[in-house]
Amino acid sequence: MFSEAAAGPASPPARIVSLAPSMTEILYALGLGDNIVGVTSFCDYPEETKKKTRVGGMSNPSLEAVASLKPDIVVMTTDGNPREFEELLRTLHIKTFVFTARRIAELPQGIRELGAALNIRDRGAALAKELDQSLTGFAARVKAHGPGKSKEKILYIIWPEPLIVAGPGTAMDDAIALLGRTNIASSASTAYPKYSLEEVLRQAPDVILIGKGSGMDMMEVSRGILHRMTSVPAVRNGNICYLGDGLYRLGPRIIQGIEELAECLNRK
Amino acid sequence: MSKPKIAALILVTCLVFLCSLFLAPKAINPASLSDIEREILFSIRLPRVLVAFLMGVALGASGAVLQGVLRNPLADPYILGISSGASLTAALGIIGGLTFLGSFTIPVLAFIGAIITGGIVGVMGWKRGGLWPERLLLAGVGLSFLFSALLMLMMSISTDEGLRRAMLWIFGDLSMSEWQRVPYGLVFVLAGIALSVVRAKALNALILGDEFAHSLGFAPQRERLILFVSVGLMTAASVSLGGMIGFIGLLMPHIMRFFIGSDSRMLIPASALGGGALLCIADLISKSIMPPMELPAGVVTAIIGAPYFLYLLRRKDVLSV
Repeated sequence: MFSEAAAGPASPPARIVSLAPSMTEILYALGLGDNIVGVTSFCDYPEETKKKTRVGGMSNPSLEAVASLKPDIVVMTTDGNPREFEELLRTLHIKTFVFTARRIAELPQGIRELGAALNIRDRGAALAKELDQSLTGFAARVKAHGPGKSKEKILYIIWPEPLIVAGPGTAMDDAIALLGRTNIASSASTAYPKYSLEEVLRQAPDVILIGKGSGMDMMEVSRGILHRMTSVPAVRNGNICYLGDGLYRLGPRIIQGIEELAECLNRK
Repeated sequence: MSKPKIAALILVTCLVFLCSLFLAPKAINPASLSDIEREILFSIRLPRVLVAFLMGVALGASGAVLQGVLRNPLADPYILGISSGASLTAALGIIGGLTFLGSFTIPVLAFIGAIITGGIVGVMGWKRGGLWPERLLLAGVGLSFLFSALLMLMMSISTDEGLRRAMLWIFGDLSMSEWQRVPYGLVFVLAGIALSVVRAKALNALILGDEFAHSLGFAPQRERLILFVSVGLMTAASVSLGGMIGFIGLLMPHIMRFFIGSDSRMLIPASALGGGALLCIADLISKSIMPPMELPAGVVTAIIGAPYFLYLLRRKDVLSV
């Protein structure tokens, strides 16, 4: 806390622990990669991350491992980390920053706040501005093309068996809306619902997107479920895209994720 | 005997079947089927109802048999560890993302896990030329603990995503029911039921004690082995069809005992029908509460079944196996 006397108020914390893959990616994008001393076992991007000390999973990080790294600040999210863990860290007088952005539109503001908390207000603002511009760019392009595509119905499959899809409040749902399309699962009651197969047949999506499962051949895994959806326009017309993990983490790579999605949707 | 009661049970089962096919989550009018509705009816709802029914039948029947074989009112098909073994191998496949047999991978893995576990329990329960109820029970409980611990270990080192998939399967997942699963489910469940119904008279005798069974001309150890195999087959088939569904195996036999008494010749088929019907209703409800999201059917069976069971328990004063 006061041990870093050499570091003035204007310099960023020298020892940061990140408790979420998205936070790790944002910290790298802010140029603080070298200041990260601990990450979760799920942090795998960028490549250098894999050499960092692991402090456990997102939902069950080890308090001891985090404390022993003597962090100046622990960066966590409301989405994946338990609230109680933050309270535990506070009782040990470890400074925390909780990233509360959950939606794509909230990301730039979240990064601004993170930048301010890490004494790199300018860098945070710059990255946020960059993201803001990209996001408005997408929206503008959709507007230019006219509203014709808005009737296009999309289904984003997170996992095929059992069928789990991206519902309301997810980055995938945001991205689909941003690109002017309709996510058929956005009326579901949870973010990642186990979705009714017969409802998919009824809704008849025009495009099916299949997310990336860690280290699995999604084409192979989803063969069975697609076979059961042969009457759906997306399957009949071969409008199926296998996407990367860009949309899975609310970080700077989300832009690539949206671009990949846009590319798929505009392919026809 | 209680023919009207059995007739009523069959009638209720048929009614449940029809409701499951045509009612929810969105009603389908069989008189005017659109193309989509025909597809939903025949390739989604019908196989799903059949799979649910088979699972429920297997659990109800094997519960009734097992409570008799073990002479224990708390026994259920899962107490022998068979389901924990199945869950372990299935979770291994789910978390590890194995797909060597396509959609069949997880059911086959679960079945293998169940059969192996059943075999281990059988070997552990075997002493002095036969199976002993207390040994079977303790071996099953011991193995359950071991397998559950291994399962938790696997889940705690898995990603959140793999964990959720494994959880969904373990809580019972009927959403992947397709026609290909029906035939093998049918074969194993029917084989198990036939075996146990044919030996129901011997089971009646076993419940009263080995000596009594012996005096009636049954070989207790041989009968116990046959009945144990039938339970193993049915439980393995059921877990492999759609994961673990709580409540039915333990409490459906008790509910049926309240109605038709403890004669295994009636109790086994009645528990089977009751189990099948209950799981179909539970699945119907689980699809209808928050559409288009589906809830785990196993949760619903217990939520609707347990209060009813408790109500019956309050009303009756004699309890038996």
